[in-house]
Amino acid sequence: MDYFVLGYYTLLIGASCLAAYYQQRPIFMLLFSITLVSFVMGIIGGKEALWTTTVVAASIGLAAGTSYGFREFLINISGRETQKMLRTAPLTASFGMFIIFTYAIMGIFAPVIAPYGEAEVIGGAFDPPDENMLLGADQLGRDMFSRIVYGARNTVGLALMATGAAFVMGAMAGMLAAVKGGWFDQLMGRTADVIMSVPSLIFALLLLSIFGTNLTVLVVIVAVIYAPRVFRLTRAVAGNVVVMDYIEAAKLRGEGTWYLIRKEILPNSTAPLIAEFGLEFCFVFLLLAGLSFLGLGIQPPTADWGSMVRENATLISFGEITPLIPAAAIALLTVAVNFVVDWMLYRSSGLKT
Amino acid sequence: MKDVLIIVLKRLGLGLITLFVISILIFGAVELLPGDIAEAVLGQGATEENVAAMRKQLGLDRPAPVRYLDWLSGAVVGDFGNSLVSGSNVSEVIAPRFANTLFLAAYAAVIAVPLAIILGVIVALLRNSVFDRVANVLTLTSISSPEFFLGYILILYLSVKTGYFPAIAKLSSDMSLLEVLHRTFLPALTMVLVVMAHMMRMTRAAIINLLASPYIEMARLKGTPAWKVIVKHALPNAWAPIINVVALNLAYLITGVVLVEVVFVYPGIGQLLVDAVTKRDFPVVQACCLVFAATFILLNLAADVGSILTNPRLRHPK
Amino acid sequence: MSNIHDKELIRRMAEEAKRGRLSRREFMHYAVAAGLTASAATGMWSGVARAEPKRGGVFRWGIHDGNTSDTHDPGTYVTRQMIYLAHQIRSYLTMINPDNSLGPDLATEWSANPDATVWTFKLNERAVFHSGRKVTSADVIASLNHHRGDDSTSAAKALLTDVVDLQADGDHAVVITMARGNADLPWLMTDYHLAICPAMDNGKIDWKSADGCGPYKIEQGEIGLRWYLSRHDGWHGEGAYFDNVEMLILNDPNARQTALVTGDVDCVSLVELKTLALLKRSRDIEIDNVASGGAITMPMHCNVAPFDNVDVRNALKLCIDRQEIIDKIAFGAATMGNDFHLAPVQPYWPEDIPQRAYDPDQAKSLLKKAGMEGLSVSISTADSLFSGAVDMCVLYAEQAKKAGININVVREPNDGYYSDVWLKKPFCAVSWGSRPTPDVMFTLAYKSDAAWNESYWQNERFNELLLQAKAELDQERRADMYREMCLLMRDDGGTIIPFFNNFVYGRRSNVKHSGSLAASWECDGARAPSRWWFES
Repeated sequence: MDYFVLGYYTLLIGASCLAAYYQQRPIFMLLFSITLVSFVMGIIGGKEALWTTTVVAASIGLAAGTSYGFREFLINISGRETQKMLRTAPLTASFGMFIIFTYAIMGIFAPVIAPYGEAEVIGGAFDPPDENMLLGADQLGRDMFSRIVYGARNTVGLALMATGAAFVMGAMAGMLAAVKGGWFDQLMGRTADVIMSVPSLIFALLLLSIFGTNLTVLVVIVAVIYAPRVFRLTRAVAGNVVVMDYIEAAKLRGEGTWYLIRKEILPNSTAPLIAEFGLEFCFVFLLLAGLSFLGLGIQPPTADWGSMVRENATLISFGEITPLIPAAAIALLTVAVNFVVDWMLYRSSGLKT
Repeated sequence: MKDVLIIVLKRLGLGLITLFVISILIFGAVELLPGDIAEAVLGQGATEENVAAMRKQLGLDRPAPVRYLDWLSGAVVGDFGNSLVSGSNVSEVIAPRFANTLFLAAYAAVIAVPLAIILGVIVALLRNSVFDRVANVLTLTSISSPEFFLGYILILYLSVKTGYFPAIAKLSSDMSLLEVLHRTFLPALTMVLVVMAHMMRMTRAAIINLLASPYIEMARLKGTPAWKVIVKHALPNAWAPIINVVALNLAYLITGVVLVEVVFVYPGIGQLLVDAVTKRDFPVVQACCLVFAATFILLNLAADVGSILTNPRLRHPK
Repeated sequence: MSNIHDKELIRRMAEEAKRGRLSRREFMHYAVAAGLTASAATGMWSGVARAEPKRGGVFRWGIHDGNTSDTHDPGTYVTRQMIYLAHQIRSYLTMINPDNSLGPDLATEWSANPDATVWTFKLNERAVFHSGRKVTSADVIASLNHHRGDDSTSAAKALLTDVVDLQADGDHAVVITMARGNADLPWLMTDYHLAICPAMDNGKIDWKSADGCGPYKIEQGEIGLRWYLSRHDGWHGEGAYFDNVEMLILNDPNARQTALVTGDVDCVSLVELKTLALLKRSRDIEIDNVASGGAITMPMHCNVAPFDNVDVRNALKLCIDRQEIIDKIAFGAATMGNDFHLAPVQPYWPEDIPQRAYDPDQAKSLLKKAGMEGLSVSISTADSLFSGAVDMCVLYAEQAKKAGININVVREPNDGYYSDVWLKKPFCAVSWGSRPTPDVMFTLAYKSDAAWNESYWQNERFNELLLQAKAELDQERRADMYREMCLLMRDDGGTIIPFFNNFVYGRRSNVKHSGSLAASWECDGARAPSRWWFES
């Protein structure tokens, strides 16, 4: 029993007692269950397990602190209406916003932030991190940190474009189909079926082999692959809206299709579309990574997180962290986006508790 | 019930048309791909003479529409032709591999679907709690990692370091079911991780979406316990979107797992399809794509029928 | 091990060592002095000192390149899966020995007339097919004819174009008549396409049954997945110590690696070079790193501007830092190239040609001379060529920047690379397998009218020398001719050769071999199952 273990338990139990005294039930429950879990982990994993717990707890605490600070910051700089809305945001949502904000800064100012160019070779293969290279070097001796920063620009930019295009195409087609109905609806529906029933990787493989692999083609093809999913969702949601009385009324007023879509249907179907956006966004990342598995992704030496994971994936079997860094970058963004999406969904569902 | 039957028949008819369209598209795509089977089979070593000889042997010198019609006339009576490369019957090549794919998909689905729905209900019940957040973060992290990477990590911890499960899903016919389940556990688990998050989040979203409805409010005001409100009142009305997402993910389990097959060396149909595309083996590509498409169409149909049957309002029309 | 004396010396030392007259230390000392690398010498020592093969066991072999649409037709062998399998279930007339010399397989001896136009191969009379039938001249003739004639779809057709006639001389001898003299014909017979299959009555071969006269026969198997073989008791050769061989197709590098680490297989045919250093830490695993004649080339079309200017070609050859590429792409497992397509492990390698070094300044001045400063070119590459193919070009592009040359790297789809990019795009990366002799390689890809003249290089002197050398039976004169050809390729040719890739494969440490390993294919010339054994 050394000082670290002693201090660890003293702190935990002390904090739980304080929480109990001030009647902070959730905090007390959390702290005390951590204490109980720590007993078990300490016996099985020894001091190291406790150390890990401390590190994890500290990073969660840090994240929570950052999120709180960021929310206050946003509240202070925004207008009255937004302030009201932001105050309802849970910590997770502001954490999500903080991450998205960071990534956006990273992407926009990539050349300024990155200490080296994305293709610049500055060290040996897989050099460990040092004061020069924050995250070490990749397989060619390029700075990992710089490549992650550039990757934010390339990967997120591409994924945003592709997902955006998919949503514009899918949502437009879905709403049009719902409003027009009849043969147009059938045609769109069957087209979507055709695209969706061919496995996406094969579909991309066929199309990219035929049309060549430049960036525009890549974005269009990814958009075409994901548009049908958006279409189906929009069609289903809009289908429910179209039968409403107020649409009937608008039609009788003689409003055009475009007006109906813009003013009536779109505002009433944003929530599920936003939810879908959060997931589709990360599926696009994965499709891009899968494509680079077939040699069809983004052109080298452009940094792209998906390819960066793939290139060094085999190292993971030896417990090396090189491939984990870009994977973590993708995961963090996905989690962040979906935290924000959750909050928006929650707001739009009209629940108050 | 009669209405449902009519819907099913109508959809099956439409499905056949869809399959027909797909077969034309796939044929066209394979035709448009640069290079042809003769070049692909002979590889780097091909000279113009023997490419020409092979084209003639395989009948590739005939015009494309003729070849398509030739194939179609066989396909409508259930004969999908022979593989251009190996000469063996396509159905014989595909059947055992498709069976393997179905087995693995079923294995993953049996774990993933109930788990996802139960977890979805629980996180909807405990929404915004620590448990909700943790479940969210974990499932989101798991779907945001490329699936081959998930596979590698599982192999590292459950196979290389601990030796609980074999890293390669090597199957042979004399294995007992238990042994097969043990051998294919890691690929199945990878797929569970890949599809769980989507289904869980949709369950949660669908339920939360209903919680503001007046009848839920009513039930709550009557003093029904929270879990009962969700399971008895919210869930039955949330089935439609859940079933749709489940169907979508089941289809993915069957059609989208090429990379998992490669990582675990599992003899499924995905690898066969990629190989066939590389070799421009049109009959095999066509048959694989049609099998996938049919699976997708049937699952979709099942989802639609399912949402009708589970919706009280649709089940008992006024 | 370049000249005949050293080889003889090492052979004698091995004899001495076997009898216990030479200590390990002395052996190492002399072997290294004779030109062996330290690791090769260690391997040889352990080979001679405790090599006593034992029979038995199932050899499980993970293979890195297999496709579900491969076939047993020897004319269309492309993937490692079928090539390796052919070396187990079928036999060839001749084979490459573990020391890279030519040895007998199905043919016990061979001889030629003085101008090397008529060759006679005597067949082993003990050889039988798995079906039990004796192997006769008719089988050999039918097997070779499979690759000849107008309706042949074989990829090996080009190899046998000079063959005019095949005749049986009794049941166990075959006479091959050539249009032009070819001193290398016995070497040609080791080509993986030229497997001997049973003949049918109509003079064609029966390849569908997968019958053959190799050391193992197929018990069960599925193309693209696995093969289960058992020993063929009537095999005419020596070895085949394993009772059974299981070949597993493991295309994924991680799958191979984990299978080897967890002991699910006993040997894998390719180790991912990135993880080589990490894998070596394991005590249960031995890595074999064998220099080979397989080359990575970057051909520039000499008939297309700007590559039609020899100064531009040489500038591009000068601005590549081969050492860095070997360190970072091949992780040391390679032999440096010198822009001629002949590796140090191959016969007739000229050792006195100076190595071309990385010299961006000279490249710059060459470009200045050609009036092409600030040259900008595109190079095509694809991931599937070899591990690190795209990275290599990216690295090259970085190195060339120092000479003021801008190289734009284009990643092409893996699918269809050899039909759409190779021979079509003016500058691309290519991976070549090893060929047994310089004549085969040069005729295949550097002769002016060769179908695969990948750089469209036209050099009259080279073509002239090539024809002379082919029929030259005097070894020294022949070596001089090859040396001159190499110089022409290096200084005038259109192909950059950054390195010759080693074969790097791994085995569990209970799998033993003689210590010398053939460099024709991975795993001892793809003959590991018939040459290696388990230590009990």
